[in-house]
Amino acid sequence: MATAQAALDDAPSAARETGVALVGLVVGVLVGYGLWAGFYLDNLHNGLLALTFTAVGLYVVRMRPGHRVGRLFAAVGVLQAGLFFGRQYARHEPRLPAADWLAWVAVWPVPLVIAIAGVAVMAFPNGRMLSRRWRRAAIVMVVLGILLSVASALWPIEDDWDRLVVEHPLQVVGASWAERTLWPVTVFLYLAFQVLWAAAVIARMRQAGAEEVRQLRWFVYAVAIALSLLLVGAVVWQTPLPGLITLSLIPVAAGIAIFKYRLYDIDPVINKSLVVGAMVLMITVGYVVVVVGVGALLPRSDPLLSLVATAVVALLFEPVRRRAQRLADRLVYGHRATPYEALAQLSAQLPQAPEGLLGGIAATVAKAVGATDVVVWLGDEREMVPAATWPDRAGENTATQAVALADLGIGPRTHLRPVVHRGRVLGAITVTKQAGESLSRAERQLLDDLVAQTGLVIDHQAQAAGLEAAARRIVTATDAARRKIERDLHDGVQQRLVTLGLELGGLAEGAAVAGNSDLAARAESARRQLLEATAELREMARGLHPSVLTQDGLEPALANLADRSPIPVRLRVSVAGRQSAEVEATVYFLISEGVTNAARHSGASLVEVVAKRDRDGLRVEVADDGVGGADPVAGSGLQGLSDRLSALGARLEVESPLGGGTRLRTVIPVGSPRPCSEGEAPCG
Amino acid sequence: MMIADDAVLFREGVARILADAGFEVVGQAGDGGALVDLVRHDPPDVAVIDLRMPPGHSAEGIEAAAEIRATAPKVGLMLLSQYVEAHHALRLMTEFDGGVGYLLKDRVSDLTAFGVDVRRVARGEVVIDPELVARLVARRRERDPLAELTERERELLGLMARGLSNIALAQEMHLSPKTIEGHVSSIFTKLDLPPDARGHRRVLAVLRFLRQE
Repeated sequence: MATAQAALDDAPSAARETGVALVGLVVGVLVGYGLWAGFYLDNLHNGLLALTFTAVGLYVVRMRPGHRVGRLFAAVGVLQAGLFFGRQYARHEPRLPAADWLAWVAVWPVPLVIAIAGVAVMAFPNGRMLSRRWRRAAIVMVVLGILLSVASALWPIEDDWDRLVVEHPLQVVGASWAERTLWPVTVFLYLAFQVLWAAAVIARMRQAGAEEVRQLRWFVYAVAIALSLLLVGAVVWQTPLPGLITLSLIPVAAGIAIFKYRLYDIDPVINKSLVVGAMVLMITVGYVVVVVGVGALLPRSDPLLSLVATAVVALLFEPVRRRAQRLADRLVYGHRATPYEALAQLSAQLPQAPEGLLGGIAATVAKAVGATDVVVWLGDEREMVPAATWPDRAGENTATQAVALADLGIGPRTHLRPVVHRGRVLGAITVTKQAGESLSRAERQLLDDLVAQTGLVIDHQAQAAGLEAAARRIVTATDAARRKIERDLHDGVQQRLVTLGLELGGLAEGAAVAGNSDLAARAESARRQLLEATAELREMARGLHPSVLTQDGLEPALANLADRSPIPVRLRVSVAGRQSAEVEATVYFLISEGVTNAARHSGASLVEVVAKRDRDGLRVEVADDGVGGADPVAGSGLQGLSDRLSALGARLEVESPLGGGTRLRTVIPVGSPRPCSEGEAPCG
Repeated sequence: MMIADDAVLFREGVARILADAGFEVVGQAGDGGALVDLVRHDPPDVAVIDLRMPPGHSAEGIEAAAEIRATAPKVGLMLLSQYVEAHHALRLMTEFDGGVGYLLKDRVSDLTAFGVDVRRVARGEVVIDPELVARLVARRRERDPLAELTERERELLGLMARGLSNIALAQEMHLSPKTIEGHVSSIFTKLDLPPDARGHRRVLAVLRFLRQE
């Protein structure tokens, strides 16, 4: 598994690191040598462009080797380094060997470089053209750039030849004609290229969402400034130089956008460097202030001061570190959270809404590693089913057949992480990225952390579900037991006592007829006592589990409760159809307890009861206008009811401010009303 | 008369006692279906029916009663139960055009009173258990309109709810029918009830009123 993952993740390989270093070295040497050779203001922009394009391009290539923007920027940087070096070399005094050929090499690619730089700008930030039409325009630009470069290689068309001390090394016929005709065409096309970039950037801004606009803003400023300076320079100042120099702002702005908004999910080291720097500064300053400052005031310089200094620094460390981290985050990421904040957020979600957690994990993983598709699977090695997806496909009809861990689709774009908790496979996460993108080291680390958290979450959920099911079983079993006792009483003892009463009644009648008034009176007395006993038994059975609830449902049972209540009850019950037995019993006992408490302790003059079905489930509310101050935990039956409710996935809210009455509230999640089926006992 | 109850001991006891009291028991059944068959064969004056019977131990007695009423409308229906519930009483008053009774099983042991009630049902009158009525009269209400009634009027209201006619009320209260009529119209005015309600409609009106919040 581990080796497969490593291969899939396409880690920054030694070959890539070497390549990046080599290209950087070549550009550095070319520019460095060029600078050493002399300073020429009109060639400065080529050096600047070489350094900035190369730096940003190579950084992106190193982190995201598949990303087109990185390659394009690096290509522009390398070509610019060539242009810079060739021109510096050609101007060297005394003249160096083959200066004319190096000048030639540094002049003819100019149109091509401008075209490629244009493609890089147009493709920023996602590496793709906005649409097929923009793509066609870019291709035309590159083709024209190649044609111009070929012409420029044949004839001295570029006005650069005027500034270079050397001559065009090729003596092809028609040089004067080419210079006369093609130079205006070249200048026109350069302008056209620039208009095209500007138009592409503007079009991208107009199509972008608010977030993307914020990310692109610096880049757009840089393009706008450079292009307007080029235009103003060409028309007013007769020199493109200020514009050419400001062109190097474009790769710089692109770099800022990449860092600041983590455009390619690159986790910059800048953040940590800033924090560490701030901390080093704080420790040093703190130490110096205490040891030097306080030491100067006090006439003693013993180890005590060092100790105090250390203590002060230790006390300040955490708050200052937090501030510095926040500042660094803001500088580097804008308002975005770090991947580790995402992790922390995920942990914070843990105790909440258990059913949405896996979806939350999928979304967090997707955001953290820039995936196009994330699936969280549940199951063991042999059978896995998708439990959550990002983007959310819950509404769609996807096949949910169980798949073995080994068969989960892994490909060049899809990465698999089994979720293992305490040595047991509980599920898996598959991450699909865009073609050509792979997981960076930071992303892989983050993914591993998230997978470890997911193990905890799944385990936690399984335990919670198990507990809830057990609690529900207990409630159901208790209710069933109570119902059975009520039924047994009804069919057994009560029936027999009533029959006995009948016998006693007959006995009294018979004795009266026979004239034995004493016996008649005694039998009648016994009958009356027996009736009192059966009445008492009836009330006990009702308290155990009212048969009217089982037989006819909540509405008549609650109306009955209101009939018997010692204080007035205002009932608002609308529960269409029957609910499950445990839900009905829980609602009944909750309302019964609320009404009893109100009558017994609160001095209330009225209890309002609401029980109604709505979208969320069965909403139950019992509110009295009594003295309030009820303790939901102490003594009263509320704790038991609260437990009962949690077994049904509901929560009991008790609001009882002193003097403000008592209000019990809950919403019990219930499915669609239970249909009445044949043979199923009580159905309204 | 006929008796339907799934508890054999109780059924036999009722049959014996009723026979002692001068009733002729012509059939016994263990559930609603058997009773309906018996009644169809040879309709009695009154059927005494247990409310909670097989198969569902729910309200099968009322279903059987409804079926009997549809096939043999002259048969008086006396429903017995371990519990008396207001919603069943209201249903009996709404769905049956008189000639029904609803009593606790306990009442059977007072043979004289039970005999009177059975005869009333046979005559097409209505009988409601006193325990149920007492519970409803004692029911606490937000603004209790019963507070406006005199002690005697309250007593009369309870008796009306049990199904007693004006003549029966006069006998029970030892008052002249004229005086009773005066009291009844006074009660109906105070409670804003329809004054022309007679028989089971009067019982229904009073029960409904007592059930108000």
